[in-house]
Amino acid sequence: MQTLPIPHVDPMPLPGPVWLFVALLLVVFTLHVAAMNSALGGGLWALWNYLRGRHSNHPYSRRLANELSQMLPVFLAFTVTLGVAALLFVQVLFGNFLYTSSILIGSFWLLVIPLVMVAYYGYYYFSYTAEKGKGIAGCVLSVSVLVLLVIAFIFVNNMTLMVRPDRWLAMYRAHANGWDLNLGDYQLVPRYLHIVNGSVAVFSAILAHLGMRKMKSDEGYGRWLVQRAALVFAGSTGLQFVFGMWLLMAIPRQIAMSLLRDPLAGSVFGLALITVIAGLLLILLGSLSEKPSALVNAGFGCVLATLFLMVCLRYLLRLAYLKPYAHLDALAMRPQWGVIALFLVLFVGGLATVGYMLWLVARGRKASAAS
Amino acid sequence: MNYPHWQLAFPGGLLIGVVAILHVFVSHFAVGGGFFLVTTESKARRENDASLLAYCKRHSKFFALLTLVFGAISGVGIWFTIGLVSPEATSMLIHAFVWAWAMEWVFFFVEIAAAIIYAKTWETMDASSHMIIGWIYFVAAWMSLFIINGILTFMLTPGRWATTQNFWDGMFNPTFWPSLVARSAVCFLLAGIFGYVTLPRLGDAAREKVARWSALWTVGGAVVLPIGLYWYLAKLPLFSHLYLNGSLIGVTHAVRGGLGFTALAVLLAVVFGLAKPRWINTPVVVVMVVCGLGSIGAGEYLREFLRKPWVVNSVVYANDVRAAEVESWQQKGIARTANFLTTDNTASLEYGRNVFQLQCGSCHAATGYRGMKSRVDGWDAAFAADILQHIHVLRGTMPPFAGDETDRKALGKYLASLNDEWHFTITGANRLEIGKKVFDARCGHCHTVNGNFRPLRGTFENATGPQVQDVFPALGSMSSNMPDFNAPADQAEALGFYIAHEANLPLAHPRAPEAPPTGVGHSQLQRPLNPREEVR
Ligand code: HEC
Ligand code: HEC
Repeated sequence: MQTLPIPHVDPMPLPGPVWLFVALLLVVFTLHVAAMNSALGGGLWALWNYLRGRHSNHPYSRRLANELSQMLPVFLAFTVTLGVAALLFVQVLFGNFLYTSSILIGSFWLLVIPLVMVAYYGYYYFSYTAEKGKGIAGCVLSVSVLVLLVIAFIFVNNMTLMVRPDRWLAMYRAHANGWDLNLGDYQLVPRYLHIVNGSVAVFSAILAHLGMRKMKSDEGYGRWLVQRAALVFAGSTGLQFVFGMWLLMAIPRQIAMSLLRDPLAGSVFGLALITVIAGLLLILLGSLSEKPSALVNAGFGCVLATLFLMVCLRYLLRLAYLKPYAHLDALAMRPQWGVIALFLVLFVGGLATVGYMLWLVARGRKASAAS
Repeated sequence: MNYPHWQLAFPGGLLIGVVAILHVFVSHFAVGGGFFLVTTESKARRENDASLLAYCKRHSKFFALLTLVFGAISGVGIWFTIGLVSPEATSMLIHAFVWAWAMEWVFFFVEIAAAIIYAKTWETMDASSHMIIGWIYFVAAWMSLFIINGILTFMLTPGRWATTQNFWDGMFNPTFWPSLVARSAVCFLLAGIFGYVTLPRLGDAAREKVARWSALWTVGGAVVLPIGLYWYLAKLPLFSHLYLNGSLIGVTHAVRGGLGFTALAVLLAVVFGLAKPRWINTPVVVVMVVCGLGSIGAGEYLREFLRKPWVVNSVVYANDVRAAEVESWQQKGIARTANFLTTDNTASLEYGRNVFQLQCGSCHAATGYRGMKSRVDGWDAAFAADILQHIHVLRGTMPPFAGDETDRKALGKYLASLNDEWHFTITGANRLEIGKKVFDARCGHCHTVNGNFRPLRGTFENATGPQVQDVFPALGSMSSNMPDFNAPADQAEALGFYIAHEANLPLAHPRAPEAPPTGVGHSQLQRPLNPREEVR
């Protein structure tokens, strides 16, 4: 085999143990995906209900679109914030792969930044205008959602390209200016559909959970929401199986097999199948039952677990791809334990601060509702 | 060269600069503006001033829209850009400081949450809770500045880190505190300037109050800023200091521009804020914002420039070449070390273009901003290949050439191909003019005749043209850093004539050779030839 051009790893030792970086990566990436699913899936939900509310004057759709309009900018804010953390940790472990693939599609990759700004300002615009329901609010929202779909596509290009060093040199020779995408890759289409459709599914589960809470204050609206969300969740989850299978078939047999035969990856996969089916059943049953709360809650928990397991599986798939080229265990290491401890303390402190602020918000809401 | 080079039509460093300037502009406002908001809010509440409070609300909405979206996303933009343009340096920084970024991220997270809550809860939260959120925002924002400041200053002055590789030595490096003071002052200054953007309408009771109040912030920042900068200058490494001696036009413009913009902004704040707040109007505010951007731009340009030829002092050069790898590349050659080239044929012009992109492309493009075409006019391939060995002693701030002879020849051929070869018909009338052109092409990159950059006057004063010309064949052996002289005979003759003419001009202001900031020597010659040897 001819040696592939792969940049060597950084000569400096890792400032912490690999397991810690992997753990942090998996956790923040799961949170990032949850936020991203909310921003994208939520955008699609908002668009559909906004249009429906306007044309058929459906009061619940209207109300949902309004409520979502307030949440979308926040979802996007946390998508970005959590994404930054994931980017930070993935660079530590796989920098030599990720920088390379990013450069190869560099011009598109950098385009992500202005695109996010467009989508973000669009969401803010929508949050100010949705309620009045006038003007170009719907158009702006569509543009934002469309732009997010494009961004997702660029990301999938990069993530699939970083594990394909065999494609790199030819791509560089064709377009050294970075106006290139990983279009020929067999993973690309199924993986894109998997993540976009997954966004709808995950956010529908979140909505089911939200609807259940709304039932406390407005029974009719809450129930409508739970049932709608459960329906869409079921449909998109079904579709998700199709795209997932497509993806699995698209991956070279040898890699797919090594993944499924690996005891760890195999059990993660098996467990994910169990949790997703459990989540599906629980949410569907919950939406039909008189008192949905316990069932929907449990189902929602299962969906979150599935999300985490899928993120782990995605990581293991990357390892399977990079097996011949990346040797995480062999990386030199010089952990900065003192600094790590400080980070963990700050991390807990930061979470506590955010918790405290949310408590203040809730207290304020209660007080102002009462007066 | 480990990584593929993203081949752009303009220098990659320019891209980083543009993204960084816009981000720094907004992100420093994000820090200072947070402080501004919460103190203005408490002032309004203390004075029971409803119209000032209404101003706070409006300002907080503007603040959130600008900092949460543009500020935060452009910060991610810097991440993306440096990863694309300088992956090697980014990787190095990540390995040394990932935990600093992780901590910074915690503050960033808190900051974003607080900003969203602050802007949204004017109606639903009691006054003291709302102000607590404001304070949390400010502390988190300033702490993220505190941490990033450590990494940024480390890149110029690694200090003891160079020997210990200790995290804290790197963070609290020699320029950490001065830079923190200067940046904090800038935050105040910008908070004041941006305070005007949402200035209450004419006739609003709060209008003059806000105008005065914002001016205090700008002026306050402007008072502290020089202290920070002066301290910062005192801690700069020797090589950075020498860039400020006036031999680099870009640096000189940036210093003047930075001072001018800042002074104008402060002047406007004093006149339209403190003295005559009734006069303030939209055009004045626009000019102030532009001045703010201008002074940030100049400051960032200088900060980046003073670090050249390094991205990370003593570790990675600005063209993303690691100092430790230069020698091995000079021995093995680029064709055998670079992972990504668009051709393997080292004799081709395309190969030369690749070498150019890899070694020079982060600071130069063929044409346009800092373009090569005009800078190498008059170079033939052999001369170019020769001078490349000495690229680090040219005027400018360039890293050593990291390639072997084949690479130099290929790059020389490419550089020569950018312009047509020179053919002159030299007459008595144009001899001097052509002599100057030849000087600019063959000597002027490393010398002046009468200036303070390696002046030649000392050697050639009292010499005639032919006498000067007699020296040329020996040049290559006079200094290990001088290329061999190979210009055609007619150009050599014109050059000798020109140098003799210049070196014998009466000096307008005969002056003792001026001492550079370091106090020794008389020109940039004192700059260490190998900046790696000097870490302070
Ligand atoms: C690549 C940069 C470079 C170029 C181009 C160059 N020089 Fe030099 N030159 C140097 C350096 C470096 C020295 C050594 C100064 C020292 O060591 O103090 C030097 C020294 C000299 C000296 C000796 C000065 C002294 O005081 O000892 C003369 C004379 C000289 N150069 C003339 C020329 C002329 C004429 C040209 C153009 C044909 C030229 N140089 C082009 C870099 C250059
Ligand atoms: C660290 C960034 C950097 C790199 C890398 C770099 N240069 Fe430069 N170069 C500069 C700066 C800064 C200047 C001076 C400012 C100017 O001329 O605008 C300069 C000036 C020059 C000049 C004109 C010198 C003069 O006195 O007018 C030439 C010629 C030149 N560079 C060639 C090259 C070549 C060839 C390479 C690649 C081998 C290269 N540079 C790499 C930053 C760089």
